[in-house]
Amino acid sequence: MADSPEARGGGEMRKRTFVITRFDPDKDQVPKTQTYEIPCRPEWKVLDALNFIKDEVDPTLSHRWSCRMAVCGSCGMNVNGEPKLTCKTSLADYGDTVEVAPLSNFPIIRDLVIEMDGFMDKFKAVKPWVIVAKEKAAEEGTYRQSPEQLAVFKQFSMCINCMLCYAACPVVAKEPDFLGPAAIALGHRYNMDSRDEGAAERNEVFRGEGTVFHCSYANECSEVCPKNVDPAAAINQAKLNAVIDWATSFVVKRGK
Amino acid sequence: MARFADPHAMQPSTPGRTRTAPPQLPDDFWSRPRMRTYLLFDATGIVYLLVGLVALRVAWALKSAEAWNALLTSFANPGYLLFHLIALVSAIFVGVRFFRLFPKAQPARIGPAKPPPRPVLHAMLYAAWIGITVVLLAILGGVWP
Amino acid sequence: MRNLLLRLEPIIWLLFGAGIMVGTLLLPGYLLTVTLAGPLGLLPDGALSFERAHTIASNPIGRVVLLAIIALPLWKGAHHTRALAVDTLGHHSDGLVASLLYAIAAVGSVLGILAVLAL
Repeated sequence: MADSPEARGGGEMRKRTFVITRFDPDKDQVPKTQTYEIPCRPEWKVLDALNFIKDEVDPTLSHRWSCRMAVCGSCGMNVNGEPKLTCKTSLADYGDTVEVAPLSNFPIIRDLVIEMDGFMDKFKAVKPWVIVAKEKAAEEGTYRQSPEQLAVFKQFSMCINCMLCYAACPVVAKEPDFLGPAAIALGHRYNMDSRDEGAAERNEVFRGEGTVFHCSYANECSEVCPKNVDPAAAINQAKLNAVIDWATSFVVKRGK
Repeated sequence: MARFADPHAMQPSTPGRTRTAPPQLPDDFWSRPRMRTYLLFDATGIVYLLVGLVALRVAWALKSAEAWNALLTSFANPGYLLFHLIALVSAIFVGVRFFRLFPKAQPARIGPAKPPPRPVLHAMLYAAWIGITVVLLAILGGVWP
Repeated sequence: MRNLLLRLEPIIWLLFGAGIMVGTLLLPGYLLTVTLAGPLGLLPDGALSFERAHTIASNPIGRVVLLAIIALPLWKGAHHTRALAVDTLGHHSDGLVASLLYAIAAVGSVLGILAVLAL
């Protein structure tokens, strides 16, 4: 494994300008931008630049990050207007000027840090856990699930809650009640889980205030998802299931 | 370079401990290529509404030969021709985008039933589209029966 | 108003789904002949004469197809125009806009049924 600058993809250090959103609730009425010019290594991601700025230039810059390998979902931000995981976004794909802003559609706590509790509300509303009428006794053994049964929902279980999909969705931008891509995809994941018996409850949530039918299939969520969860597929499958559930609810009496 | 989104977007049910700035959208959010295609797709809704209402006129005009011939004459006006040409382009645009997105909206199974694999479904949709169009062209075009 | 819309949403979505699927399948054939080639005189003589058109349309299958071409695009159109309204105007007027658009689709569908039955 060669360690030369060329092997690492490009060779030279490069001065880049970062236009970064700043907001201090104690000092600012509205967010503003601040510009930093720093030398960047060729193999850097956007997150490396942000950490360099915080370490060497301006310690007051606030941003979230953790694993730096695209599995924790902490570092979601708008890079040149597109929601991205900054640990996964190479500076080599960008020019001399890079704009970094907090994720769209979320209230801003400070600088690049957004308020996540709105997402947690929607997340909890879809009851993202296996619901069974009666817990299986330990003596009866574990739940059995074949690879085919797993394949039905496995893709939708890969969500890392990075919320890029919420930043990309035009309906989230305009319709505050909407449950949103990740929450619906996760609810659908449990509806399609063979161990779960709670589909009726979740479909009521899906037809309630946050209704899945607000989704207009823009498909932006699936375009930005870093884990190929394809939430648009989940939401639109969920619509059909919600309608079938609604129709059968007139025929089949629901017990509590 | 940001505009404000809906001020209530993603707001938590209980406020946090500090004052937050309202949700933002990039200035060019609505003018990016994919978003423009999506807005155009939604705008075809207006075209479809008008197409349906004009088709209602077609059904009404079948009351009498005079009404029918008058309608066909008015359809030859440049305004109507342009509208229906836009309608044709819209229908094709909608079909292409919809057929691309439709297969992945099918649940893996509904009860015991499983949908065909996505490429097969894709091919079936286009086959149906072309087939129905050919049949309509033949019947309405005077070729058959 | 929003609550009523929420409860009707499954039916509206089914009608919209039928509209975009069946409507789009039928529209090119109909548009190319009846609205473009016909008025431009590109069709064989008598293809869309009143007698022939009436015979086709009053056929049981013809009635269903004609009704589909009238009603189904209305529901697709109403649903997508509503989405466009939310994207441009925001969600506050959604109750009013949605009711208006779906009312147009509903009235148009009923008139379509009447027109097709009267053939």
